[in-house]
Amino acid sequence: MRFGAISALEGIDLSLNEGEVLGLIGDNGSGKSTLVKIMAGNMAPSGGSILVKGKPLSFHGPADARAASIEAVYQDLALCDNLTAAENLFLDREEMLRIANVPVAIDFRKMRRRAANLFRELESETRAEQVVRTMSGGQRQAVAIARARLNRSQVVLMDEPTAAISVRQVEQVLNLIRRLRDQDVAILLISHRMPDVFAVADRIAVLRRGRLVANKATTDTSPQEVAAQITGALEGAEQ
Amino acid sequence: MSHCPAARTRTGMAKVAESTGDSPKPWWGRDLPVYEIGLLVALLNLVIVFSPTDPNFLTDRNLVNILRAASYVGIIAFPMTFVIIAGEIDISVGPAVAFFGVAFAQAVSAYAVPIPIAMVLVILAGAAAGGCAGWLKVRYAVPTFISALALWGSLRGGARWWTDALPVIIPSREFRTVLGGDLFGIPVVAWFMFATFVIFACLARFGRYGRHIHAVGANAQAVEALGINTGRLRILALASTGAFAALVGVLTDARLGSGNASAASGLEFDVIAAVSVGGTLLTGGHGLTGTLLGVLVIACLSNGLVLVGVDSDVQAVVQGAVILLAVLVNAEVARRSFSGRTA
Repeated sequence: MRFGAISALEGIDLSLNEGEVLGLIGDNGSGKSTLVKIMAGNMAPSGGSILVKGKPLSFHGPADARAASIEAVYQDLALCDNLTAAENLFLDREEMLRIANVPVAIDFRKMRRRAANLFRELESETRAEQVVRTMSGGQRQAVAIARARLNRSQVVLMDEPTAAISVRQVEQVLNLIRRLRDQDVAILLISHRMPDVFAVADRIAVLRRGRLVANKATTDTSPQEVAAQITGALEGAEQ
Repeated sequence: MSHCPAARTRTGMAKVAESTGDSPKPWWGRDLPVYEIGLLVALLNLVIVFSPTDPNFLTDRNLVNILRAASYVGIIAFPMTFVIIAGEIDISVGPAVAFFGVAFAQAVSAYAVPIPIAMVLVILAGAAAGGCAGWLKVRYAVPTFISALALWGSLRGGARWWTDALPVIIPSREFRTVLGGDLFGIPVVAWFMFATFVIFACLARFGRYGRHIHAVGANAQAVEALGINTGRLRILALASTGAFAALVGVLTDARLGSGNASAASGLEFDVIAAVSVGGTLLTGGHGLTGTLLGVLVIACLSNGLVLVGVDSDVQAVVQGAVILLAVLVNAEVARRSFSGRTA
């Protein structure tokens, strides 16, 4: 990926498997968010390819990525504070009551029921009819993650999900990620909080200045090694 | 780049018991609509204050007058509620009433266009004018306030220029009787207001359009990221205020028997005041019921002040103070409500 003369990402080859959490770590400006935007269809790459189940795909927008079963949960969560959890989940995908197959009104009951089931799957105590404005950071994350799972997407990209929440809520969010993994979802977890990544990731990849400098099983590395790779103190790690 | 071979397969999806979903609270357990109740109390207080001050206040005739005056404001206030919820504002509705009222009168009297066709044409033209402000925002990022200000001047000026500031008489007694009269003892314009209220209340409560308008007002970027066309929503909202302003233009013609370039002077401020008093400005809306009550409060206050003989300049001061007070109360209710519920 290039922005004029600047190369934001170069020569990156990553794979993501079902039921796996891949932690992506890197310093500010290392290219993490750019990678997520490309995979979520929000940015067109200047080269390279995305393969889903072996098939090459090109995305022209988030809808294409969604159709390929890839959903992104961004740092700001993209929620509407004045709507309920269920309404946020189903925004633009509302369940409709139909008469003679003509949609006549939003089916709030059905939306609440499906939202409640999704929260239950995630073992979250978030209530479907609660207004987002009154929710804690952890509950908001649960809404954003449940929205990503509404259409049973198989790949969820999470950009800094634990960046702006309290310690207790961080544990809730990490549990949500574990629940997703239990449901065979492939998760790309971007975070600068190393303890969080080590707590849930099966593999850890490190980006430095747009290049992949490490890609190891979590059990084969350590926070010290990753920190050295992030800062450049340890170049040429095994890939 | 990344690829996702999904090499492993598992069949053990976490078993989730079928549920009936979160049941909404029963009506007795829900939060009370504090603000709407407050507006009802304010309305009752106005009645209590004005009734003994002037014996004409509570007469059938005067109550019908209040309802009629409220209706011209209300018909536009409901679509305006959507516009304000979406984070926009349309200050051109007063001049739009005058201009499209004049256009209707000209079409019927000078060009002999049949009344129903003329009505449809001016409503479509009103929608186009309102939608134009939305399009300028979407296409060229012109703030809606600025384009509405341009419309405000050009529509009023255009109406005066077109008619030499003289009334355009509509030569149809039936038109005045049917649309300017009463039906079952209630002004026809009030029936239009009730119908408009029902339409917009249903859109707000049960329609995707209403939900999306609320969503745009809260987080337009998020809504856009989901693939919803926020530009189209904004254009539709502004087109609807234009269309209903044109409808009010026709109904005003029916009441006056003519198209008048100076009609509806200051109506835009009454409309925005009613929506503000109804609680939409600060909290994203208490729904259309708040706007309906806001319309009635403003109409009741104006009527009462006239009856007790308050100077017209002082009336404006009192109205301004009431609007400010309502907005402050609204802000406080919102603050307490949210701070009390945030987890």
